[in-house]
Amino acid sequence: MQRTARIFINLIFFFQVLLVFLLFFEERIELPGWLQVAGRLHPMVLHVPIGILILLFVFMMLRNTFRRRQFRKIVLICLLLAALSASVTALFGLFLSINGDYGTDSLRQHIISGVVLSMFTFFLLVWYKNVKKGEIVFYSSVVFTLLALVFAGHTGSVLTHGENFVLAPIATEETLTTDNASLYQLAVMPVLEKKCFSCHNESKAKGKLIMTSMTKFKAGGEHGRPWVEGNPDSSRMIQNLHLPLEHDDHMPPDGKPQLSTFEISLLEAWILAGADFEKKMNDFAEGDTLKMLATSVINSRIKSVATVVYPFNAVSSEVIGRMNTPFRTVFPLYQNSPALHADFFVKESFQLSSLEQLKEIKDQLVVLNLSKMPVTDANLSLISQFKNLEKLNLNFTGIKGEGLINLKSLTSLESISLSGTSVTKDALTAILSLPALREVFIWNTPISEAEKTELEKSFPKIEFIHTLFNDSSLLALSKPILINEGIIRKGDFLQLKHTMPGVAIRYSLDGSNPDSISSTTYDKPIPVWETVKLKALACKEGWYCSDLLEITCYVEGHTPAQVTLLKPADKQYPGEGASSLTDGRKGFTDVLKEPSWLGFRENAFEAGFDFGSLPPSISKIVLSYADNLGGYIFPPTDVEVWGGKNANEIKLIKAVKIEQPTADRPQSMEAIGISFDTTTYAYYKIVAKPLSKLPLWHGGKGQKGWFFVDEVFFY
Amino acid sequence: MSKDFIDHRFHLTRRHFLGKVSLGLGSVALGSLLIPDLFSKSEGSTQALGLPHFAPKAKRVIYLFQNGAPSQLESFDYKPLLNKMAGEELPASIRMGQRLTGMTSGQAKFPLVGSHFKFNQYGKSGAWVSEIFPNIAKVVDDLCIVKSMHTEAINHDPALTFMQTGAQQGNRPSMGAWMSYGLGSENKNLPAYCVLLSRGRGNGQGVYSKLWTNGFLDSVHQGVQFSSSEERVLYLKDPDGRDRADRRKMLDNLAQLNDLNYKEFGDPEIQTRVQQYEMAYRMQTAVPELTDLTKEPDNIIKMYGADCLVPGTYAANCLLARKLSEAGVRFVQLYHQGWDQHGNMTGEMPLQAQDVDRATAALIMDLKQRGLLDETLVIWGGEFGRTNYCQGNLSKDNYGRDHHPRCYTIWMAGGGIKPGIVYGESDEFGYNIVRDPVHVNDFHATILHLMGLNHEQLTYKHLGRRYRLTDVAGKVVEGILA
Repeated sequence: MQRTARIFINLIFFFQVLLVFLLFFEERIELPGWLQVAGRLHPMVLHVPIGILILLFVFMMLRNTFRRRQFRKIVLICLLLAALSASVTALFGLFLSINGDYGTDSLRQHIISGVVLSMFTFFLLVWYKNVKKGEIVFYSSVVFTLLALVFAGHTGSVLTHGENFVLAPIATEETLTTDNASLYQLAVMPVLEKKCFSCHNESKAKGKLIMTSMTKFKAGGEHGRPWVEGNPDSSRMIQNLHLPLEHDDHMPPDGKPQLSTFEISLLEAWILAGADFEKKMNDFAEGDTLKMLATSVINSRIKSVATVVYPFNAVSSEVIGRMNTPFRTVFPLYQNSPALHADFFVKESFQLSSLEQLKEIKDQLVVLNLSKMPVTDANLSLISQFKNLEKLNLNFTGIKGEGLINLKSLTSLESISLSGTSVTKDALTAILSLPALREVFIWNTPISEAEKTELEKSFPKIEFIHTLFNDSSLLALSKPILINEGIIRKGDFLQLKHTMPGVAIRYSLDGSNPDSISSTTYDKPIPVWETVKLKALACKEGWYCSDLLEITCYVEGHTPAQVTLLKPADKQYPGEGASSLTDGRKGFTDVLKEPSWLGFRENAFEAGFDFGSLPPSISKIVLSYADNLGGYIFPPTDVEVWGGKNANEIKLIKAVKIEQPTADRPQSMEAIGISFDTTTYAYYKIVAKPLSKLPLWHGGKGQKGWFFVDEVFFY
Repeated sequence: MSKDFIDHRFHLTRRHFLGKVSLGLGSVALGSLLIPDLFSKSEGSTQALGLPHFAPKAKRVIYLFQNGAPSQLESFDYKPLLNKMAGEELPASIRMGQRLTGMTSGQAKFPLVGSHFKFNQYGKSGAWVSEIFPNIAKVVDDLCIVKSMHTEAINHDPALTFMQTGAQQGNRPSMGAWMSYGLGSENKNLPAYCVLLSRGRGNGQGVYSKLWTNGFLDSVHQGVQFSSSEERVLYLKDPDGRDRADRRKMLDNLAQLNDLNYKEFGDPEIQTRVQQYEMAYRMQTAVPELTDLTKEPDNIIKMYGADCLVPGTYAANCLLARKLSEAGVRFVQLYHQGWDQHGNMTGEMPLQAQDVDRATAALIMDLKQRGLLDETLVIWGGEFGRTNYCQGNLSKDNYGRDHHPRCYTIWMAGGGIKPGIVYGESDEFGYNIVRDPVHVNDFHATILHLMGLNHEQLTYKHLGRRYRLTDVAGKVVEGILA
């Protein structure tokens, strides 16, 4: 007996550890088939520990009828059997839970209580076997175990029979529908329930008003009935809702969830309509304000996700895997759905055989997308074998229509897209009697707008989608595009283009505005020899000419041997110092914090340019600068050009004043060109003064302006 | 006496102890047989990926992100009271002490200002739309305008990051990456997640690659940014003098080398890289047809506007987005910059509207006439709204608006969305939400729901916990579902 008991105890201990372990890794367990069978035995074996534990309890009640040694043995045997069967039951239950579909909350409770029960019986067994005193503790533990048994049993029954299984025959509760419930119950009460019931209920009854029961609500509180039928404005309930939030009588009190204006209008409409508790939704006239408000309340409640049941079986994932190639995608509509969706991509790689292979899934295919594939009418008889098709996309295929008749067997077809094909009205009519068909896409087909209207009349159940865009008003073209980037070498060519076929580009290089009739037409690249202002526009029959493209094209000039900044640039915008001015790199109009740009505000721009011992002849200087008035960046007010043999012997060659803008304008990159009689000085000094006070029209009026320069050119 | 006995019992011998322990270990070992990947695979998810959890309403998303936060008060949220009370102080009962940005918190006054653009009602739904969006107004019956969006961030970067990734701090996968992870790619010749950028003519804010990051997900899920230049995918062409056969041979040999490396190091990113090379190879055939806009019919060019042929414009991106979506790209993300009108509202807002209005409406119509709108979800909107009071000087004909996270407007159209409705409502001042608030987490939960994904089940385990796009919040907005 002792030996057998020890073996059993070890076995049970083994089960306990296994239980705890499996409980931890529950989510990752994958059961072999034979263990699933064991799991399904759970509902049977569970009766064994219940019976034995109850038997144990009965024996303990009858303790005095046994001899002491005998009694001990009986209890020990009961406990052994109870602990063994409880742990086996728990283990089987765990297996069952892994493959079953049970609600998670009650399942969790059941698993935990089952495992606790199994462990507790084991604990009782060990205790009873080893400790011979402490009977009271032992007996109360038995009672506790029985309680755990009741709890585990109850949670288990909830899983199998559902909540409230036992009392269900005597409880009556029906769901509210528009047929059996009044508008009040369906729409008004839910609002009150959310915002008012928490204080005005049977147990709390603030202001002696109870809203949870209709009769007590009608009876009113300490101020009487809170509404006047047909008159929301003199109804206390509505008045209180409209009081300012800080008012003592405002409802709901400050700090509680408030009613939305929409909810208030619902209550007002309900009182206006006579505060009726009984009237049903259907008894209200169509278009009634209260009914409409109520409907939108009802419709906004949670809707569950609908699932469709298909009359065919799923194919294996191995088949689906085989169907997928880089150019053909086949996948179930969603997890565990037998219905399949097939897409074809990249028309160059399309082969008819790849469509034929779909026969293997001909029953399961419900969505087929062949958009842009070289499919013809001859292939439609193949497609007609996919008899459960619901949606077929044939946009921009080679379908002409005569084969559509083959599709007459597709009784589940709901939607067909034929946009961009040559399908005619007569050919289309062949399939329009399909019972499930509800939408047909025929944009960009030979079918005219008038024919579409006829079709709509003949087939009122089907929606025909034709051309949606019918605007014939003229539009402007986009601007031409200058291909050249950066600074151009002398004699290089400017290249223009436009992305729309058949566009004429007209341009000018002298600063005048080109027009669509008399200006030079761009037909070949334009050679340029010096910095020019290019203006160009695009024109085409049937369109307005584009806006002007205006770009200053900078041509490489003479490069000085050395450049020095006589006054430093602003610390925030130092560029790469003086070398930025002649490095041949233009900046971008909108990014000023980068090496190309030098910014000046406190200091004027003053730089010296030394051409060394072999100075070229110079007759023009061009300063390239940024114009971004919103960013306080203005043209300079004064520009001076000085020249001489060296830095110390220079004289003023030319000084110009620059016209200042009088209103905001888009940011751009601009150039100031200063021409003078040809000179051969070795050294030039250029001064450009930033605007000292921003003009009155500007947001930063009175503040100092900025001057940003990125390149200086000598010609 | 009995105590001694208990002590004795608890005083285990080593043999006894080892016996019990081995029994316990044996049981664990037996249990572990039931868990195939207990010691082999440490990371990853146990659920099947690449398929929706339930029947999806939308298969693809085109998200027209309006970067910088367009003003709801000049576009879709009509507040005539602001015109009536123009210049008057924002009542404290409306502001309720809510925080402001550092750009206006120092202002002595918060004068209300109404829209300088007129509003009209359009379509069967009678939704109010501002006069600067005449084309979007024409398709208003296809839209669901949500006027009760709200967010937690008050500045661009965190708000943008929040809208895109569900967290303000960055490093989380963006929405498109989650979709790619959860639903996989429909067309194996193109990335599942593409990103297109364009610049507007208003005050702009940056966009940066962290917004389309894969975060901790595998890098195949990262958004692929298309170039704004004429060559939309850079370096796609084979170099001169090399043909497809050369490229194939090179890739095969490279794959062998990579495979050796993978066998040695086992880094999954090596395999990702090989897959990316293969996709790039297939993209060489798939992309040129996609990015060639010259074959579009004249009617389409007119519908989107002439700009759609100029690479890098919003219109061109809308047209390209349609082509990508038509070709099965799960998630096409556009960003259009320039919506940050702190000042010069009357100057910049019409320019911004002009950039997007025509092409956006065209995209809706274009999808619809191809039968694609009911399976494509189109979203238009920014990262937050703008204040009902004026920032800076309020003059007769110009004003500015600061950032406003409490309440703003976006719209959605297409797959699974109830068309022609307005959802949610702001107060008369356009400052607080009075009905049906939609939090950014709710917005994400709803988008995932439309794509057939349960936002609570789409998770990825990283750093010891499971992450979701909606983190620990989010409710599906049932009221906008068709």
